[in-house]
Amino acid sequence: MKNVVEVKKLTKEYKELKAVNDLSFEVKEGEILGLLGPNGSGKSTTINCILSLLNFSEGSIKIFGQEMEPDAYKLKEKIGVVFQDVAVFEELTVIENIDYFCGLYIQDKGLRKRYVEDAIQLVGLEEFKKFYPKQLSGGLLRRLNIACGVAHKPKLIILDEPTVAVDPQSRNNILDGIKTLRDQGTTIIYTTHYMEEVEILCDRVIILDRGQIIASGTIDELKKLAKLEEKVTVEVMELDSKYIKEIGEFKNVEDVTYHEGILLITYKKGKNNLVELMDYLKNAKIQYNKIFSERPTLNDVFLELTGKELRD
Amino acid sequence: MTVFKTFLKVLKSCKGTIILYSAILIFFAVFNTTSGDNTTNFVAEKPDVFIINQGEREGITKNLIQYFEENANIIDIKNEENAIRDALFYRDINYIIYIPENFREDFLDHKNPTIEVKSTGDYMASLADMMLERYLKLANIYHETFASEEEIIENLNKTLSEKLEVEVTSKLDTDHLTQIANYYNFANYSLLAGCVFVICMVLFSFGRDVVRKRTIISSMNYKKYNRKLLLSNGLFAVSLWAFYVLVSFFLFGSSLFTIHTIFYLINSLIFTFCALSIAFLIGNLVHNREAINGIVNVVALGSSFLCGAFVPTEYLPDFVLKIAHVLPSYWYINTNERLKTMEVFNFENLKPIFLNMGVVILFILLFVVMMNFISGKMRKTNS
Repeated sequence: MKNVVEVKKLTKEYKELKAVNDLSFEVKEGEILGLLGPNGSGKSTTINCILSLLNFSEGSIKIFGQEMEPDAYKLKEKIGVVFQDVAVFEELTVIENIDYFCGLYIQDKGLRKRYVEDAIQLVGLEEFKKFYPKQLSGGLLRRLNIACGVAHKPKLIILDEPTVAVDPQSRNNILDGIKTLRDQGTTIIYTTHYMEEVEILCDRVIILDRGQIIASGTIDELKKLAKLEEKVTVEVMELDSKYIKEIGEFKNVEDVTYHEGILLITYKKGKNNLVELMDYLKNAKIQYNKIFSERPTLNDVFLELTGKELRD
Repeated sequence: MTVFKTFLKVLKSCKGTIILYSAILIFFAVFNTTSGDNTTNFVAEKPDVFIINQGEREGITKNLIQYFEENANIIDIKNEENAIRDALFYRDINYIIYIPENFREDFLDHKNPTIEVKSTGDYMASLADMMLERYLKLANIYHETFASEEEIIENLNKTLSEKLEVEVTSKLDTDHLTQIANYYNFANYSLLAGCVFVICMVLFSFGRDVVRKRTIISSMNYKKYNRKLLLSNGLFAVSLWAFYVLVSFFLFGSSLFTIHTIFYLINSLIFTFCALSIAFLIGNLVHNREAINGIVNVVALGSSFLCGAFVPTEYLPDFVLKIAHVLPSYWYINTNERLKTMEVFNFENLKPIFLNMGVVILFILLFVVMMNFISGKMRKTNS
C-alpha cells in the first residue's frame, strides 16, 4: 500500500517549548490511523503542521508524495478536515453551509449539488436541510460540521475529535459515517480521547505524549505492551485481609486491591484465571454479587507507558 | 460566486439594521426640509426695551424715548424691582433704561448726566446698548455746535434717520444648500454606522478562526478569496452610498442640479471609502459578535457628535472641535459646510475643499497601513 501521508522528523517549537519533537510516521492508503494522546500532547499541532496551518521548525511533510505547502492547491483538493470546533455560518441553512464549503473545492454546480446531497445522506441530516445551525442540537451540529468537511469527497480526511460532547445517537451516526468513508477507500487520520472509538475504528494507533510518539501499532500490538493481561473485578461486601493476602499469592497475580466493596485483581498473563478465583471464593464461602473479567484497554497501555490516565 | 453569494446571505441577516440607519437618515432629512432659513433679504432686528423715565417727558428726554420707540420694541411691565428682575431673567426684555429725573436739565447745562441701564448681556442687549451709546454721543456732539434744544433735536433726528440700505447680493439658494449640507453631514452617521456594522458582521462570520482555517486549507487560493471578500464589501459600501445619493435626489430634486452636488458626491464617496477602511480595521480587531453593536455606537455616534454631524460646528466648544480634528468625519463635514456657502468655484476657493479631501484620503491610507500591520502581527502569532 502507498503512503498517503509521510511525516519525517517533524519538530515544532514555541519559544522554549517543543510542542512536537522529532515526530515521524506514515499513513497508508485506505487505513484509519488513530492519534491518541492527552491534552497538550501535540495532536493538534501535528495536524496543523500537516495542513500547513502552522510553520514548523524542522522536518518534512509529504501528502500523496508531494511536499505540503500553503499554496499547494491541487493537493488541497484531495484533503478534507473536520475540526473539533464547529465551523459553520450561523446565517446559512444546513444545505447552504455544506454547499458553501463544498464550493471552495468544486466549481461545477451540478456536481456540487450531487456531492452536497451525498454528504447530507452520509451524516443523516435529510430532515434538517432547511434548518439554521442555531436550530440544531449539539449532535446534529457536529454532523453538519462533518458534512461540511467531507462533502467534496476528499481522499484524505483528518478528523479532530469529531464526537466530543455528542449524544449516543449522533455518535453512532458519526461512527457509521466514518466507516462508510473507510469502505469507500478514504484514508483517515482520527484524533480522539475516546479509546472505545479507536478500538472500533482504527487500523493503527499512534500514542503521543509531550510531542513525542511513545507507542504505535495495531490495537493488539499496543495491548501487548501492557504488562497485564487480565483484570478481574469482584463486588463483595466484606472481605477479611487474610483472603486478600491469599489471593495475592495466586500464580500470575500482579496486584490485588480492595476498596469500598470492590476487589480488583490484575494478572500478568494467563486466560483462565477467573475459574481459579471462583473456585477459591466458593471454597472459602465468600459471598459476592458480581464477578467479571476484562482484557486490558488502551488506557491501561497508556497508564503503563506514561504513568497517567489518557484524559489527564 | 460562492463567496459573493454567501456574502449576500450574511448581508441579508443585517438588513434590519441597514433599514434602521437609512430610516434615521431619511427621517432627519424630511424633518430638516421643514425648517431652515432663507436669507435673501435683510431685516433689522429690534431689541425688547423697558424705559423708566423718572423725569418729565419733554425736550431731549422725549426725543430719546421716541428714538427707542421707533427702533426697539418697547415693553411695558410693572415698575417693581422683582418684576424687572423676573423679566430680565426670563428674557421678556433685553434692556432697561433708567432716565434720571433731571436728565434734560443736566444735559442742557453740560453736566453730562448718567443714564443707568440693566441688560441680559446677550446679543440683543448689546444692540440696545449700541443704540443708546450712539444717541448720547451724537447728542453731545450737536450740543457742542448748537445752543438751542430744538436745533440739537432737529439735527440729531436728521442724522439718526439716515438708514443704511442692506441688500443681499448672493444668488445662492442657501435654504436648499443648507438642507443638502445637513443631509450629507448626517449621512456621516448612516454611512459610518452602516459600513462598520455590516462589514464587522461579515468579517466576523467569514473570519471566525475555524471557518478561516477551513478556508485556508481548501483548494481555493486564499489571496483570491480575500480579494473577493474585499470586493464584496467594497461593492456593499458603494451601493449604500449610491442609495443615499438616490434618496437625496428624491428629497431635494432639482435643487441638486448644481455644481455643488458634484462636490457633495465626491466628498461623500471619499468618505464612504474611509468608512470602509475604518470598518475593515475594526473588523480585524474585534472577534466578538456581541461587541459589534457597542463599537458601532461609539465610532459612528461619537464621531458624528464630536464633528458636527448632528449639531452645527459653530455651536460646539473649541476644545471639542480641536479633538475632532483627529477624526476623518471632521474634514468630511467641514467640506460640506464650506460647500454650502461657496458661490464661485475657482481654484482659490476650492483649495480648502481639496485639502480636506486629501486629509480624508490620508486617513484611508493610515487605516489600511494599520490594518495590514495588525493582520501581519496576527498571522505571525498564529503561525
